[in-house]
Amino acid sequence: MKNDLRKKKELPYILMGIPGVSIFFVFFIMPLLFTVRYSFFNWTNFSPDISFNGLDNYKKLFHDSTILYGIKNALVYAVVTVFLQSLIALPVSAALNTKFRGRNLFRATFFCPAVLSTLVVGYLWKYLLSASELGFINQVMNRIGVGTVNFLGDKRYALASIIFTQVWQWFGWSMVIYLGNLQSISGDLYEAASIDGAGTLRKFWHITIPGLAPALKINLITGMISGLKVFDIVISMTGGGPAHKTDTILTLMYAKFADGNYGYAAAFGIMFLLVSLVVSRVLLGLFGAWERRLGQ
Amino acid sequence: MKRKNHLQTALKYIILGLLAIIVLLPIYYLLVTTFKSSAEATMAPMALPKSFDFGGYAYAFEKMQYPRAFKNTLVITVCSVAGIVVCASMLGYALNRREERKLSKFTFLFILSGMLFPAQMSVLGLYKLIQGLHMMNQLSAVILINIAANMAYAAFMFKSFVSTIPIELEEAARIDGAGTLRTFWTITFPLMKPIVATIAILNALTLWNDFMTPLYFLQKRENDVLLQEIYRNVGQFSTDWTSLFQMLVLGALPLLLFYLFMQRFIIGGVMSGSVKG
Repeated sequence: MKNDLRKKKELPYILMGIPGVSIFFVFFIMPLLFTVRYSFFNWTNFSPDISFNGLDNYKKLFHDSTILYGIKNALVYAVVTVFLQSLIALPVSAALNTKFRGRNLFRATFFCPAVLSTLVVGYLWKYLLSASELGFINQVMNRIGVGTVNFLGDKRYALASIIFTQVWQWFGWSMVIYLGNLQSISGDLYEAASIDGAGTLRKFWHITIPGLAPALKINLITGMISGLKVFDIVISMTGGGPAHKTDTILTLMYAKFADGNYGYAAAFGIMFLLVSLVVSRVLLGLFGAWERRLGQ
Repeated sequence: MKRKNHLQTALKYIILGLLAIIVLLPIYYLLVTTFKSSAEATMAPMALPKSFDFGGYAYAFEKMQYPRAFKNTLVITVCSVAGIVVCASMLGYALNRREERKLSKFTFLFILSGMLFPAQMSVLGLYKLIQGLHMMNQLSAVILINIAANMAYAAFMFKSFVSTIPIELEEAARIDGAGTLRTFWTITFPLMKPIVATIAILNALTLWNDFMTPLYFLQKRENDVLLQEIYRNVGQFSTDWTSLFQMLVLGALPLLLFYLFMQRFIIGGVMSGSVKG
């Protein structure tokens, strides 16, 4: 009797959890397990039979030199983009954290590109950076006498150009995260430091940076992880070229998928998981060490 | 001392102003070029257009099958966001109010494990699943994928927010005879407005701009979204430079307008959505 009553009390809570948990299970956990399973299968668009082929997909993957480009480009992209974004966003957010006229307008302006679709930004910059006479950047460079640079067609500049556009688009997002954190650092600390005779730079280094640990962690870790996922900007600007110099793990996976090599593409998905797990482990370890040092 | 301050302020305005120009110039270029002939665009790229010709927009509007693609994008975004908010708020609430139970602890760990795995890795498994469920090329497939992919983070945020809501308020409603579900929707949910806004805004931004999921799962043109129309017209099959800029503007305009009016809320949402996470 008592037990029945207790069960009746628990039931509504269980019912409330069911929609979320079941959608999560069916459309997140199951596909994950399917991906692991089918990465060991010979599953293509060309033949109706799906057969187990052991490690064949992975053997093929390790002999495929493009995957190395994919991993290297994604890592370089993620590290450089995250670094440059914070390099710009940190001083800008510190400047915007003081009261002055036009502060909100600057904030709204810097964040603005983040609401544009990355695909749209990619096509816009592809045009602006174009080496034809239509490309605005090259028009300017010709006028000042530097000459034409084939930003997206030249192996040396293609990835750097992509990184540039993404720093342009997303530094405002990092800035907003730093701003939110800066507002939570107590003004008393700065006052006390001023009384002790600390200058602006010393205060920045000894109060602002340690106080920003939470936002730094968010910006660097989520930035790195979403950097590894880079896809839209590559599809719109270069399609992975020239000569795989801008291909990433996910653009390669899509190429295998579009070719109908589904099992092989699944192995790329697993590769992507491994790389992102390693990267987040390393970053969390580094931050843990830093926070322990700050705590001392 | 005072002069030094003036100098600092001036320097701040100059640097921030330059940065603002770098940010706005490409967007300005995009907007003015949509009204120019190609000759005018090459001759005077930065000048204001001599006349406002909307012909390019009419052409792009038709080529993109705009009303249909817009509707699909809107349906996907609205349904996904609503689904995330409804499912994750109930789940987060149940997990918080039943924190001591083994079932809750297990469910919470299970959901949290979702944050370890990037959703993009499972695309091929999803493809198999969606095929098996006969949901290929259906908006509902993308909506369910979106809800599942964002469930872990949203439920986590809701769960921690619920602990700030005093349980006494709910107990008062209970004494008046309301059941658990009714108490949740009439008492607790209205108090969760700040976190609902944060979750809704963050997800609306990323899902409206999501290109990859529709690309994999909406392969029939009649079900595609705005970004796929841009991709189809300027990327994949042909590069139609004449209407490129108009298409880009038409693709970006809905969110830009949304941003113009909701700027404070969007920036606030990004701020509170990340630092707590």
